[in-house]
Amino acid sequence: MLLTSVIIVLREVLEAALIVSVLLAIGRTLPVRVSWVGWAFGFGAIGALLYATNIATVSDWFNGVGQEVVNALLQIAIYIFLMLFIMRVRVDRDEGRGSDKLVSWLMIVSVSLAITREGSELLVYFSGFASDLDLFTPVLIGGVVGASIGISLGALTYYLLLNINRAWTPHIGTVVIALVGAGLASQAALLLIQADWLPSQTPLWDSSNWLPETSVTGQLLYALIGYEATPTPLQGAIYFVALLAPIALIKLLNKAGRRFLPSS
Amino acid sequence: MLRLWVLLVLSLVSIPAAAKTPVIEIEIRNHLFEPSEIVVPANTKIKLMVYNRDPTPEEFESYELNREKVIVGNRKAVIFIGPLKPGEYPFFGEFHPKTARGKVIAR
Repeated sequence: MLLTSVIIVLREVLEAALIVSVLLAIGRTLPVRVSWVGWAFGFGAIGALLYATNIATVSDWFNGVGQEVVNALLQIAIYIFLMLFIMRVRVDRDEGRGSDKLVSWLMIVSVSLAITREGSELLVYFSGFASDLDLFTPVLIGGVVGASIGISLGALTYYLLLNINRAWTPHIGTVVIALVGAGLASQAALLLIQADWLPSQTPLWDSSNWLPETSVTGQLLYALIGYEATPTPLQGAIYFVALLAPIALIKLLNKAGRRFLPSS
Repeated sequence: MLRLWVLLVLSLVSIPAAAKTPVIEIEIRNHLFEPSEIVVPANTKIKLMVYNRDPTPEEFESYELNREKVIVGNRKAVIFIGPLKPGEYPFFGEFHPKTARGKVIAR
C-alpha cells in the first residue's frame, strides 16, 4: 500500500512541481514578486477541493465522459496560459520593458489550474482510504514520501536553472515550458479520444519495448515532454502544432509590431 | 462471459459500415475486476462500461491501452478503447494495483 501511494503521489506531484519550479526560476530573472506562488497554491487548493468533491457529478456529464472533457479543458487552459506567459515575457524582454502584474497573473492562473487538475486526483485517492485508519496511515506516509521526492526534483530543476549562466535561465525555462505545454495538449487530445469526441486511430509507433512508460525514464519524459509509447497520428500532430504555435505567434508579433498583447 | 461471446459474435457478423460500437461491461468488486479477462474483436472501437461496486474510488489504468480514468465508488464509467491490433493489453486499478488486475484480449 505504501509503495503504491509513493508512486501515485509522485506521478501527480512531478508534473505540477516541474511547472512551478521552472516558472519560479524564470520569475527570479524578472522584476516580479515571488508572492504569486502563494496565490497560485491557494487558488489551486480551492480548485482541487471543489473538483474532488464534485467528481461524481462531473463524471456523469456528457453521457459519462465528463471527467475526460473537463480534464482536457483544464489541460488546454493550462497550455494557453503557459504560452501567453512565455510570449509575454519574450515581448517584454524584446522591448526592454519590465514585467508587470499580467505576467504574475498568467503564472498564478496556470499553476492554480495545474494544482486543481493533479490535486483533485490525489484527494479522490486519499478519500478512498479515509474511513480505514489502518490503511490510511501507510497511504498517508507513502504520500508524504512521494510528494517529498516530487518537490525535491522540482527544487533540483529550480537550482539547475538558476545556477547556469543567469542570462540563459529564461531561454532554457521557455523551452522547457513549451515542451511541457505541448505534452499537456497531446494529453488533452488523448482524453478526448478516450471520450470518443476525437477519432481513435491505430498508434503511429510502439516504443513500449525499449522505453516503457512505466520506467523511471519514461515517467520523467512523460512529465517533461509528454512522452507516450503508443501515440496516435492525431496526438502527434497536435503535439507539434502546440509546440510550434507559440514560436509562430512570436514571429507574427514581431512582424506586426507587437500590438496584439496589451501593453502596460 | 456468455454475453461477451454473444457481443463478439454479433460484432463479427454485423456489416462493418453499419456496425455499432460494441459495449463490454466490467465490474469492480472488492478491488477485483470481474471478469478479469475480456475478449474483444481486433481493429474495432469498443465501449467499456466499468461498474464500481465498491464504496471506494478506483482508477482504471492501462499503459498498453493508453487509458486512465477515476471511477467513484458505487458509480459507473464509460471508457472507449481501440481499435486494437490482435494481442493482449493488461489493465489495472491504480489505487489497488496488487489485486485489481485484468487484461483485454483482442482477436
